[in-house]
Amino acid sequence: MEAEPRLAAVLRALTSREARAGYAFVLPALVLFIIFRIGPTLAGLVLSFMEYRIGRSNFVGLQNFNRLFADPIFWESLRVTLTYVVISVPLTTVVALMMALLVNQPVRWQSFFRSAFFLPYVTSLIMAGIIWVAIYGPSGPINAIFALLGLPTANWLEQPGSVLPAIAVMSVWKNFGYSMMVLLSGLLAIPGEYYEAAEIDGASSWRKFTSITLPLLKPTLFFVVVIETIGAFQVFDAVYVMTNGGPVRASYTLVYMLYDQGFKFFNFGAASAVGVVLFVIILLISLVQRRFLSERAS
Amino acid sequence: MTMEATRSVNLRSAGTYVALILAAICTVFPFLLMVVVSLKPRGIGNIFQMLNLDGISLASYDKILGSADVWTWTFNSLVYSVVSVVLVLLFSSMAGYAFAKKRFPGKEAMFWTFLAMLMVPTQVTLIPLFILLSWFNGIDTYWGLIIPTVANAQSIFLMRQFIAGIPDELIEAARIDGAGEWRIFWQIILPQTGPIMATMGTFVFLWHWNDFLWPLLVAQSDATRTLTVGLASLQSEQVNTSEIMAGTTLSFVPTFIVFLLLQRFFVRSIMTSGLK
Repeated sequence: MEAEPRLAAVLRALTSREARAGYAFVLPALVLFIIFRIGPTLAGLVLSFMEYRIGRSNFVGLQNFNRLFADPIFWESLRVTLTYVVISVPLTTVVALMMALLVNQPVRWQSFFRSAFFLPYVTSLIMAGIIWVAIYGPSGPINAIFALLGLPTANWLEQPGSVLPAIAVMSVWKNFGYSMMVLLSGLLAIPGEYYEAAEIDGASSWRKFTSITLPLLKPTLFFVVVIETIGAFQVFDAVYVMTNGGPVRASYTLVYMLYDQGFKFFNFGAASAVGVVLFVIILLISLVQRRFLSERAS
Repeated sequence: MTMEATRSVNLRSAGTYVALILAAICTVFPFLLMVVVSLKPRGIGNIFQMLNLDGISLASYDKILGSADVWTWTFNSLVYSVVSVVLVLLFSSMAGYAFAKKRFPGKEAMFWTFLAMLMVPTQVTLIPLFILLSWFNGIDTYWGLIIPTVANAQSIFLMRQFIAGIPDELIEAARIDGAGEWRIFWQIILPQTGPIMATMGTFVFLWHWNDFLWPLLVAQSDATRTLTVGLASLQSEQVNTSEIMAGTTLSFVPTFIVFLLLQRFFVRSIMTSGLK
């Protein structure tokens, strides 16, 4: 007999004036989320177990995954993506950290420098890619400077060995400003007394960096690395405009494979399977991040 | 301070300036190269003569602006960005208001579901969205391009944080004066949200202006194609570099204006919330 009043209370809560207003205000966002985010996410998972063609579609179990894991092109694109992550994430982090330390110094035009370093971040990857194709080109500035210094010249985007580092350097230019700003906020949060105390003890700059700055900046550094890693796994625009995945698939990333399978070959099942692999990788990174953060909290 | 100490401080600050200036040159150089190449239709020749003023002309701009496509692409990018900004700000401030100030069953579950969607890479949803749009003839239309991008969890989250800080007394006072729910939102809440509107508006504008993969899939003809997709198509058609650079320079103008006007808002929000 408990159920009756409880049901009534729930109904009252659902239909109270405040609740009705709440639902009304959330409604547009909720509808958009269900149709364009939650639904497509679930559909993406379901599609990876289907063969979907115009006119006929049926469940095929793990067939898409079996084919994918038997496809050397998939393993190559996974290797390319991992290589890109391993090159670009440490490079961006180190540059961003050095720049954050620099723009944290009490210098003139401090805010001018901060803005200038942030400027590339607001460009599109298409614009950045187009400019850097010219920079790496046979008669571009990099080769001109290398020739002057007596170093070997090449078309850096057309060599399998140099194409990923070349794209990574472009992305460092485009993205370090973001990580620099996040790290700068971490630096500004470190209490100045720590450095004053260390100075009284006669600590060197390097000592202060390794014993105060780095340990206290660790959570911020970790956040930056996670954000950069997730972004690097999704690299596509730059590859599309700079190399088309070439030369001979040396820059053929996971998202490029998803694009090819889905929108060049219209093999939606296979493309969804690639999407699920990407989803799992990014989910694992997010879970590692949460684990790390909760360990710190306890 | 001893003389040696003063000298070492001076040396250090000189080193800081040298490093800052070198880094600034490296950062700005690609922009400079883009503008110089766009102004020299006959090529820049040797890179060390880049700043030489010979052969400067606006011919590449004439040529790129003489093509009707570029104007259409620019217009489409503006429609995509501006309409998205308006819709994202409206719907996310409404939802943020409900999450911050209203009590209703299922509120927490709904809010955390929205946030959890941030962990799903958008690429996973591309194919279902594409199929969905093709069922409703949304491919190659403005609404098909815009509406699926309007569900924005980050914006809802930040709106909720901000609106939670608005005192309840304001809302109560308006209610006592007999204002209805919508009027309270429109006349009491919205006018208080200036800073977060500026921040989110800037981010949403830049995300859409710079967006590539989604417009590449949906905006298939020149009628709806955006500037990023159009420029990429020029690049793959191997159009003259100087003309493409004129196009990229023009595509950067709105971004640069937004950057100059609103950078303090988004730099602060990156530093406080890690918004990307």
